Amino acid sequence: MIQWVYFDRRPALFMTEGAKNNPPPALELRDILKKFGRVVANDHVDLCVEPGEIRALVGENGAGKTTLMRVAYGLYRPDAGEIRVGGARQEFASPVDAIATGLGMVHQHFMLFPDLTVAENVVYGAEPSRFGVVDRSLAASQIEQLSRLHGLDVDPNVLIRDLSVGARQRVEILKALYRRARVLILDEPTAVLAPRERDGLFAVLEDLAEDGTAIVFITHKLPEVMRLAERATVMRDGSVVGTVTVADSSPEEISRMMIGRDLPAPPTRERKAAGGPLLVVEGVSVDAPSGRRVVHEVSLEVDTGEIVGIAGAAGNGQSELIETLMGFRPTAAGKISVAGQPVETLSIANRREAGLAWLPDDRDGLGLALEASITNNLMMGSEARPPLSNGRRSSRRGCEEFASVRAHEYRIKSSDLRAPALSLSGGNRQKVLIARELPLAKRVLLAEQPTRGLDFLSAADVHRRLLDHRAEGHAVLLVSSELSEILELSDRILVMFEGRVVGRLGSAEATEERLGLLMAGAVAQATP
Amino acid sequence: MTGPRAWWNLIREPLLSVLGAFVVGALLMAASGHNPISAYMAMIQSSLVGSGLTSTLGRATPIIGLGLAAAIAFRSGFFNLGGEGQFVLGGLAAALVCLHAPLPGSLLIPTSFVAAALVSGLWAWLGADWEFRFGVPLLISTLLMNYPARLLASYLVSKPLRDVASGLPQSHAIPESAYLPGAISGRFHLGLVLVVIAVMAVSWLFLRTVVGYRMRMTGLNARFARYGGIDVGRLGRGVMFASGALAGSIGAIQILGVHFRFIDGALTKPFYAWTGLMVALLARSRPVGVLVGGFFFAAVQTGGFGMERAVEVPRELSQVLQALIILFVAVGAQRPVRDLEEGEAHV
Repeated sequence: MIQWVYFDRRPALFMTEGAKNNPPPALELRDILKKFGRVVANDHVDLCVEPGEIRALVGENGAGKTTLMRVAYGLYRPDAGEIRVGGARQEFASPVDAIATGLGMVHQHFMLFPDLTVAENVVYGAEPSRFGVVDRSLAASQIEQLSRLHGLDVDPNVLIRDLSVGARQRVEILKALYRRARVLILDEPTAVLAPRERDGLFAVLEDLAEDGTAIVFITHKLPEVMRLAERATVMRDGSVVGTVTVADSSPEEISRMMIGRDLPAPPTRERKAAGGPLLVVEGVSVDAPSGRRVVHEVSLEVDTGEIVGIAGAAGNGQSELIETLMGFRPTAAGKISVAGQPVETLSIANRREAGLAWLPDDRDGLGLALEASITNNLMMGSEARPPLSNGRRSSRRGCEEFASVRAHEYRIKSSDLRAPALSLSGGNRQKVLIARELPLAKRVLLAEQPTRGLDFLSAADVHRRLLDHRAEGHAVLLVSSELSEILELSDRILVMFEGRVVGRLGSAEATEERLGLLMAGAVAQATP
Repeated sequence: MTGPRAWWNLIREPLLSVLGAFVVGALLMAASGHNPISAYMAMIQSSLVGSGLTSTLGRATPIIGLGLAAAIAFRSGFFNLGGEGQFVLGGLAAALVCLHAPLPGSLLIPTSFVAAALVSGLWAWLGADWEFRFGVPLLISTLLMNYPARLLASYLVSKPLRDVASGLPQSHAIPESAYLPGAISGRFHLGLVLVVIAVMAVSWLFLRTVVGYRMRMTGLNARFARYGGIDVGRLGRGVMFASGALAGSIGAIQILGVHFRFIDGALTKPFYAWTGLMVALLARSRPVGVLVGGFFFAAVQTGGFGMERAVEVPRELSQVLQALIILFVAVGAQRPVRDLEEGEAHV
């Protein structure tokens, strides 16, 4: 600690003296009001985080957690209320001011330059210089020292584009630490991580807290709250419902606070006698446009009334595989058939005709036309059929009725279906996708990260619908980096690592630990 | 987001752009020693009253038609910048049919239109085909294809097809049986009616047909359209054919309704195609907006002549005004979308 001269950002030395009795809160938000138009995102919110504390900030989507933290970080200006850092009142015109007072934030979507090195990204805006020239070797050695100190394992000279998601996150944390952050805010940091990476992150955070850094951790995953945080502040509908000491509380209590009532019972999954295979994939390989092979000879079958889960950390070929099954990418080798009909040479339209449908990972960019109305988004794929049209002419009534029935059936919350899909929250956007794709999935549904970013209730609803779909005798191929989801829904589980299937397990033999090891490539050689 | 509110949202930006441009234009005039109020009065007089209105409508016809042709492509996400070449080729095809086809008089008009639409449609289709087959950006191919089209027409009427006796680079005159109804009386001819019908038809196509839905979705998010099973390559070729065919038909209207022969430069010098392109952008590719905007730009242009005559304000000023309007639109264009995102994304 003391040998480390460059980064003496710690009040630790002072704390050993008199200030220890009553150190000011690391971050204090008082009576924060933030409105977007008529929507109140933060309704007079208070939050106080002590130095060295790990605080979980939990709540459903749209509860106002992210907004509150963006206010604290200077991204939004509050309409009322005050921000104090280390006891001193602050007004932030931008994150630059917030960073200067010792705040750091790791966003859900990383803010890094993919074509620069780790070191360049970390020092960007605060470069060590000699005679007006950036001192690259000093930057690299500082970062190496900093990363060793906190167990943040990254090579400073590697390009960001070549790093895994987990490593990029470590770079984001380094960026904050390099700027001597005393308060570190992380927005849903585990959403993108494999289990092992998540454990690594938690170790780093615990270590930082030990050193006196205050950590605010936004999440809606209760197991993480229970494991990591000392206290949890629960938000609902823009207000703080309460703050609990985690050791004295329970997941049930916190979830009740989050949603305002008891959690729905987890859906039950009865094993149904499977019929014949609906989706058969034999030795499918996929090449990226650059010519690099990203999927290597994958074979799998999904039977009638079966959910097959593909586990794997993001970026191990699952997306490419699904895109190929749907016809969005060419098949480099192998065969694909749906209910016995070979489809690998068919167009997307013809594959849909054969009974394939797809919930894509990239909802906003691929699954929706955000600027089009909700009705228009719901129509896609059904637009040429009655009652929406006679094949050529659309029926306005038919389209509107179709959309309102779907919206009702799938509980899409919108006052006006003519409004653009852009106006919907993430959960409701996914509902639009599901409302459109499930009825189109006459045989096989390809469900990619179906609950990413969704809160409890929305996720539980999606799970129930997938199980219902299965119970109706359809096949579902589920891709998820969320192990609990894979375990809860799947009849059989495949694990993908670096474009290959490295493990096949029945639902009975699969455990989070086993899957986690396979996902990290630990036994890739053992079960080819 | 319903009724009047939605309408207001749609027209607010162009309206404010136009107002802003006129205010800046007034300042420019005042700064150069002209009285902006009398200049604008003269502009209105000479573009919206009596014979001024007639010439505005005559000018508006090709601008609206070519704006609509651009809008069909733009709204579907395909950047057809080849309106000018397609317009010229259509005019040329129509003139050739009228001059050389061994047809009875009553068939000359419909045949000219079919020929113009086919030639220009295929010319535009070629651009789409190259984009989907070889990856040549449509933006570039259509822009460059204006040159061969224009120069080919220029060559033909100055050499092989030239009416030598007239002493000008132009073809022979077409027979009177091929004139559009109303053409002889002045500048108000059937063409304007045809263009208004085309506006209604395209509007209906976009909002009331399956193909129109697919075009709109492709324009808003081509990846989404592809994901949903739309064959974007096929749609794009069809859209470009339609856009080109419409531009070509407008060429036929000009030949059969205004010039009665193919005169070198007559279709390109007034910059109809480029004005139409601007109108399409200003109207965000809404057909009815193109109708209103096309009329407006035509009025500004004819009003420019009047302003020059009456108060000696240089006509170039009306062009400055047009440029200002486009600039103001460009500034405003992204606003509504961004406002929406700000409001909803993070609550």
